[in-house]
Amino acid sequence: MNLIPKFDPVRVFLEPWSTPELISWNSQVILMGLLVCWASGMIGSFIVVRRMALMGDAISHGILPGVIIAFLAFGSLDVGPMLLGACLAGLACSFSIEWLQQNSPIKKDASMAIVFTSFFALGVTLINLQTGHLDLDTDCVLYGEIGLTPLAPNITLAGNNVGNRSLWVMGLICLIIVSLICLFYRQILVTSFDATLAHSIGLPVKSIQQFLMLLLALSTVASLESVGVILVVAMLVFPSVTASFFFSRLPSILVCTFPLGIAYTFGGFHLAYWLDCSIAAAMAITATVCFIAALGLCPNSFLWKIVAHKKSPHN
Amino acid sequence: MDSRITKGIKNWIIYLGILSASSLLLDAKQIGSGEEFNWLTQAERFFEMKDPSVRRVALGALLMGISCGLIGSFVVTRRLSLFGDTLSHAVLPGVAIGFIWAGEKDNFSLMIGAGLAGFAGVCCISLLRKFTKIHQDSSLGIVLSAFYAIGICLLTRIQKIGYSNQSGLDSFIFGQVSALSSDDLIGLLIALGFIGIFIVLNFRQLLATGFDPQFSKSIGIPNDFLQFGLWVLIAFCVISSLQLVGVILVSAMLVIPAATASLFSKRMKEYLLLSSLLGAGAGLGGTFLSFLGKNLPAGPIIVLVSSSIFFLILFLRPEKGVLFRWLNARSVQSRIAIENMLKTAFQIVEQNGFEDNEISSLEIMKRRGLSRAEVEKEIENLAHSGLATKNLSSNPAANLPPQTVLTLTPKGWEYACRIVRNHRLWELYLTDEAHYEPDHVHDDAEKIEHVLGEETVRQIERLLKNPKTDPHGKLIPSITDIHQGSLSRST
Amino acid sequence: MKPQGLPIEVHDLTVSYQKKPVLYGVDLEIAEGSLVGILGPNGAGKSTLIKTIMNMIKPNGGYVKIFGDAPQKGIKRIGYIPQKESVDWDFPVTVSDVVLMGRYGHHGWLSRIGQEDRNKASECLEQVNMLAYADRPIGNLSGGQQQRVFLARALAQESEVYLMDEPFAGVDAVTEKTMISILREMQKSGKTLMVVHHDLASAKEYFDQLLLLNMRKVAYGSVPEVFTHELLQKTYGGKLAVLSEMATKVAKAS
Repeated sequence: MNLIPKFDPVRVFLEPWSTPELISWNSQVILMGLLVCWASGMIGSFIVVRRMALMGDAISHGILPGVIIAFLAFGSLDVGPMLLGACLAGLACSFSIEWLQQNSPIKKDASMAIVFTSFFALGVTLINLQTGHLDLDTDCVLYGEIGLTPLAPNITLAGNNVGNRSLWVMGLICLIIVSLICLFYRQILVTSFDATLAHSIGLPVKSIQQFLMLLLALSTVASLESVGVILVVAMLVFPSVTASFFFSRLPSILVCTFPLGIAYTFGGFHLAYWLDCSIAAAMAITATVCFIAALGLCPNSFLWKIVAHKKSPHN
Repeated sequence: MDSRITKGIKNWIIYLGILSASSLLLDAKQIGSGEEFNWLTQAERFFEMKDPSVRRVALGALLMGISCGLIGSFVVTRRLSLFGDTLSHAVLPGVAIGFIWAGEKDNFSLMIGAGLAGFAGVCCISLLRKFTKIHQDSSLGIVLSAFYAIGICLLTRIQKIGYSNQSGLDSFIFGQVSALSSDDLIGLLIALGFIGIFIVLNFRQLLATGFDPQFSKSIGIPNDFLQFGLWVLIAFCVISSLQLVGVILVSAMLVIPAATASLFSKRMKEYLLLSSLLGAGAGLGGTFLSFLGKNLPAGPIIVLVSSSIFFLILFLRPEKGVLFRWLNARSVQSRIAIENMLKTAFQIVEQNGFEDNEISSLEIMKRRGLSRAEVEKEIENLAHSGLATKNLSSNPAANLPPQTVLTLTPKGWEYACRIVRNHRLWELYLTDEAHYEPDHVHDDAEKIEHVLGEETVRQIERLLKNPKTDPHGKLIPSITDIHQGSLSRST
Repeated sequence: MKPQGLPIEVHDLTVSYQKKPVLYGVDLEIAEGSLVGILGPNGAGKSTLIKTIMNMIKPNGGYVKIFGDAPQKGIKRIGYIPQKESVDWDFPVTVSDVVLMGRYGHHGWLSRIGQEDRNKASECLEQVNMLAYADRPIGNLSGGQQQRVFLARALAQESEVYLMDEPFAGVDAVTEKTMISILREMQKSGKTLMVVHHDLASAKEYFDQLLLLNMRKVAYGSVPEVFTHELLQKTYGGKLAVLSEMATKVAKAS
């Protein structure tokens, strides 16, 4: 009954890859983790530079009622209805926040807090109501269980088994997000930095902003099964903030998402294997550790400043 | 004794309001949850308050509502709403550590753990703010998710190693009122006490720092101390309310009642009172509602109740509410329609040299460019408000049906003169005082004539030295003209 | 070919913002190649006028025409320098990235930025003496440098009309001199410039035409015509009480 098990490198690093079954199972988990990290990290970079990090938090809470309603309405855990319900709820959430801001004296932060907590409360109430006849794993939606990814049913295409459904969905969404961001990088960049300029060169500023919100909702929903509503924020915020200690251009920060995603996934996976805890939480902890390391090691970090301060003689 | 009675009455009013608003919702719920569960008897049980657990939960929700409302008013006015959210997530690892430390679900150690974690969260946020260039929103997101992740990690760990009595731990995420103990109540009471004392002692200082931190610093108010004090109190409030609403929804209780109060109170004292009342109301109302249904969790229901109160008030509040504005716009529109008709009538009479006081609907149609049906409807409106009488007159062209003829009553005539005067005076004011081009002023006067008050008219008349004619050389009916009827129909 | 309209024509423009009147019945006709200074007290609607011309705020009455076209169409011919505070200077982009953004308007949705654009951007940076800073993150710039970057971006836009919102705010004297000489050059090459300015003393030297604004247009004309004690008194001596009161009432009702 010890809280932190003994660290055994062989058990932690080699055991998960020791048999073919384990390799096939765990590689699916790792792939899922990577896809989640990349999709969220890409979209998160834009969210962070627009100073809307908590909007991600708000939307990820806000989609809960949409997921539950879709689940109740269709009675199954199908991806399609769930994605639809969640996207609708996410957009409703961001619209309500904007509406409150514009049509009432309530400030931005308060209107965010009001809207997303209300949505979340509605979602939780609905979950509790449905416990009688249907079973939706509350814990799965709330904390996510990435370790169960390989359990998702396989897709068969023209008679051939092409693999895990969850992976395909997440991969598709990741691909959509990455390619859309690459294609429209310029437009998204200019609307984020200077909306006025974007407007003056004839870009539909409002639509681009809503499009970003939609992408955010999409990536949040897709990662829901794996990391849960709350830890999505970690995947959104950490990569870009960590990278911004070292890079001062957005493209570099975006590219940095990929190695960081790999680090988070492998680190989280093995940490979880060692501590025998939730993989999603372990990934977020790895992200935190990376963040702290970057904070300490980056050029002109406060650690260097303290060192320099001690060295310099007091006058 | 007295205060208890008034409080009781207040609660009754709140119950009734919420009951009527939500009876529909509840009916739907009851069909699903089976027959053995009668919500009327449940309601009776709730109001009798004989059941100690009911009493405890109601009291707890009440205390939580008051303390969240009080501290929430500072949270909202200082724009710390999302800070509250972060803090409420950040206490989770503390809860887990407290549990591990005590080896069971012991409230005292959980509180200590949560307090320490909250404090660490506060420190992290202020460190990030002091030493890095990370924006506030990102640093809140970082602290929130990092702490929460550690919390989840510890909780899953605890589940795996199988402590005997870990079942209640999940309740901290969503709250679980059934497990509310009298220790929790004492915790809530202490939190409320601290918050009350802090606010009473530092009321003026808090007001000054919230409004203008620079100035208050210059007169020697310890800003940082107060800020930190507020943070600690928020953490305290969050921790004490955990058992009731859980970590995620505590921030709702911090923000929503205070935001609701901010919709109409202007002064801080009023604001504090109102928001704590709203918090208490939502707490009690939510508890009551959740007691009625079978699977209704108290925490989320409390939040839902308080946000529905918020939206109701947002829509229904006097003057600025959406409903009020809509009704107001409608009445203004109908007034403007009447005034435009009167003005047209005046112009037609004026055109005839004030000789003929009968105005045919045909002429109105021509001038206003409206269809017959529209004009008939507006004439009906005028007649209905006693501003005009209508007759049928035979049409000059014998083969057409008889048309409506309008005659203004004295009251209608006076009103019409006033509108025309407003219009022409305003045109004159724009050209002579504000130096607009004469071709601009008509459209503007079309709008202004409906809002120009009697006092402003006097002011403009004084400014322009009681003019007789407008920029287009037309007569401006003056007040004395209107009252003495010298413009009235000469026939 | 139809005759081209004036660069900017504003007719009877009434704008209210959050139910408060900001502009009331403003008329304005700006000829090609003018360098116009917009003067007025705080809250006189200077920025609002510019934003309305840019079609970012919908007017409650009246219209704006850009080269005789509706603003939606004409806006692409306008370059805009926003107030410095309106963008996030911690945004992770470099100086040359910002200047390149000025070229985005010349490209469609999917075409890529070419070497030509990069050369143009460097050229514009050179013009404002900022080429040495091309690869710096914008977060490290001083106030004057930030304004120069904005100016370079506007130059890169190669618009025909420029609207500038307080480009001299928080700028040191040397930069101000450089900037005004660049503005003069732009004017010489046939550009039309409208500049919101807050300093009465220098306005007299910097601009050819002045627009005095205080909710309504007080005066518009060449500097000697407009820069009179009486007109300035009217502009800065407060709003017409009755006018603003009534405008408020109308704005609330709408």
